[in-house]
Amino acid sequence: MNTLDGLAHGLSVALQPSILVYSLFGALLGTFVGVLPGIGAMAAITLLLPITYYISSEAALVMLAGVYYGAQYGGAVASILLRLPGTPQSAVTTLDGYPLAQQGRAGVALFTSMISSFCGSILGIVILVLLAGWLAEVATMFGAAEYAAMMIMGLVAAATVGGGAPSKSLAMVVVGLILGCVGTDVNSGAQRFTFGQTQLLDGINLVALAMGLFGVAEVIANITKADRHGPPDRITLRQLLPQRNELRRMVAPIARGTTLGGFFGALPGTGSTISSFLSYAMERRVSRKPESFGKGAIEGIAGPEAANNSAAITAFVPTLTLGIPGDPIMALMLGALVIHGIQPGPMMLEARPDMFWGLVASFGIGNLFLLILNLPLIGIWVSMLRIPFRWLYPAIIVFICLGVYSVRGATFDIVMVAGIGAVGYLLALASFSPAMLLLGFVLGPLIETNLRRAMLISRGDPMVFIERPIACLFVVATTGLILFATCKAIFGSRPQPKDEATS
Amino acid sequence: MLRNYSRRSLLAVTTAGLSFLAMPVAAQDWPTAPVHLFVGFPAGSSPDTIARIIAEPLSAALGQPVVVENKPGAGGVIGVQQMLAQKGTGHSLGITINGPLTTAPRLIDDLGYDPANDIAPVGLIATSPLVLAVGADYPADDATAFIEDARENPGDISYGSVGQGSGAHLTAELFASEAGIELFHIPFQSYAEVTTSILGGEIDGGFMAPSAALPHVEAGKMKMLGITSAEPFAQVPDVPVLAGQAGLPEDFRAELWNAFIAPAETDDATIQMLNAELIEILGDSEVQKKLLAIGWQTAPGTPDDLSARIAQDTAMWGEVIDKTEAED
Repeated sequence: MNTLDGLAHGLSVALQPSILVYSLFGALLGTFVGVLPGIGAMAAITLLLPITYYISSEAALVMLAGVYYGAQYGGAVASILLRLPGTPQSAVTTLDGYPLAQQGRAGVALFTSMISSFCGSILGIVILVLLAGWLAEVATMFGAAEYAAMMIMGLVAAATVGGGAPSKSLAMVVVGLILGCVGTDVNSGAQRFTFGQTQLLDGINLVALAMGLFGVAEVIANITKADRHGPPDRITLRQLLPQRNELRRMVAPIARGTTLGGFFGALPGTGSTISSFLSYAMERRVSRKPESFGKGAIEGIAGPEAANNSAAITAFVPTLTLGIPGDPIMALMLGALVIHGIQPGPMMLEARPDMFWGLVASFGIGNLFLLILNLPLIGIWVSMLRIPFRWLYPAIIVFICLGVYSVRGATFDIVMVAGIGAVGYLLALASFSPAMLLLGFVLGPLIETNLRRAMLISRGDPMVFIERPIACLFVVATTGLILFATCKAIFGSRPQPKDEATS
Repeated sequence: MLRNYSRRSLLAVTTAGLSFLAMPVAAQDWPTAPVHLFVGFPAGSSPDTIARIIAEPLSAALGQPVVVENKPGAGGVIGVQQMLAQKGTGHSLGITINGPLTTAPRLIDDLGYDPANDIAPVGLIATSPLVLAVGADYPADDATAFIEDARENPGDISYGSVGQGSGAHLTAELFASEAGIELFHIPFQSYAEVTTSILGGEIDGGFMAPSAALPHVEAGKMKMLGITSAEPFAQVPDVPVLAGQAGLPEDFRAELWNAFIAPAETDDATIQMLNAELIEILGDSEVQKKLLAIGWQTAPGTPDDLSARIAQDTAMWGEVIDKTEAED
């Protein structure tokens, strides 16, 4: 079956009323849980899983997939309006989305995020359709050495994106790397920094960390602030739409974000959080005005939002073509398929074309639906800002607790989020960037386990990073980045950005 | 530990005789509220699926809802800990894989429970063998050639597992020690990573669930050299058993299993009743079919059978852990 036939066939599957309803329901639910801080796709899919036992496998898959990519849309809303990321992958959207909202341009920021999300998804679908086979091949070519080299490059490239003093950014990255060490060491099985808590054996819960640093810390910070006075102006369509030159400025970041996200999404074990961070880092690097980042740069919203949506689509590549889930949510979806007697794997495209193409077509329909749904909703989201603080913030704390608990049903994580929130508030007071801490935390364990695994596989020979061509490429690029930064620091006369950047 | 274990089995034997008389009373007293079934793995995982397959008919039989509580973490240990944190009234039960009952005391400091004293076994549910899978390019086509190769090149063949002390790791070490060979261990965090690494040619192979290897074997990217069960497994009937091949002992057997457990203070009559329901459920051909589809063979038995299995596996894996620790 060629691509066009496949798509036509897929549409005929996805447009069946029963499938369509499940797909749209999933996408809607996904957006909703994405908006709520802390509660993400994982919790919603876990709750829906028992239902999937009783519906057809196609309906089950398109519904769960809808939740997954729908959540990528919703995540940005609270990031922009309240500096509270709805999901960890939208944490980076707080950096520019919130300042833009502070300037009274929340509508523009939300519009940017929605349109970027949509473009990222649609281009992600194109990548999935055209390159799925190739990406699956590439994914198996990525061994431990490649992952380690690539993630080190990501860390070097992104290490100072948080804005503010570079020394403070680096300090936060290091703290993140250290926190990433908590838990069972993969190589030796040793328990590190667990203080006798079995709940820490698998490490600190990412959602608890992100929600503590951003969510709880932000709520504490707002206790001391006076409530807003008077309702903000109504949003008119004109205020919502970006200016023409702003639209133009989105195009390149969306294209770059999509490519980056599409690639990382297809690699098992990386995914959308890393994609959005690295996309932000890339936009800041290629920008002619890096000093505008952190103060409401459109590019800083468009790139990451396109990247995480694109990654959410291509994350299906390893799941469907290799039967290898790239993240815990994908593992959950794979579980739902297995219950229906479908074992995704290299033969899936041939054995169950209806499944594959039906899913692809449902992506298209679902995303179109989300765009149409979300644009009119922007006005409603913005009106959230009219809720008095005394109602809004307690409600947010409740949602954060629910969300953190829902990840693995651990009361321990609620205590963690409170503690992390207190620390996060102190860090924010001293203008340390929580985004950088999160970056270190996400990349650290990946770098460590892959670096050590690569060395183990090569029996301790570091030449593995030079001999394997893809790894070598990353090593050369990383060296280039470091040399470039050093030269710039010595010879360049780049104006030092003012230190007051909110981060 | 052993002494306690035999005391428990003695108790179980005596109460087994009395339980018939006690059952009508227990049926009135229990269950009086929804029953919570603790699982130490996330929704969608294979222990979770097993729990849900059992929960539905169990709920019908008991006349109370059976709620699956996912408490994932630490290789299933958190699920057991959380079950034990509840009162042993028969309303908090658990389904767990073998690790938390056999190897966990050796691998985790501050485990917080002793499998022999704090857990009341209800019954074994199902077992799953592991297959020895290698990449399609690997020169050996059967276990004999594999072992031969390993003898000629000691420590050269690398295999992946899902972590230190995992079933996949200990099975490989047991296999190596019984065959008198030396394999090189590369720990990963999930079977997904192990499979990718084998497909990419980074490592040579590994022990994994038949269902994990099967899709790649069908695609011609992997080979299955042998299986760790005593008899060929229904899901992959063509894969020969490893026992007895190339110098491996005839009784070579290493299986993962899932068991139904309760807190130790649970009433013995309740345990007996649960066991009877469990055996009934596992006898249903629909349930057997569903379990086999996800790679599990039903293995019904008495609480004593499960006690014996726990003791036997604890001893067997304990020796393997001693050996690997001595080598490190």
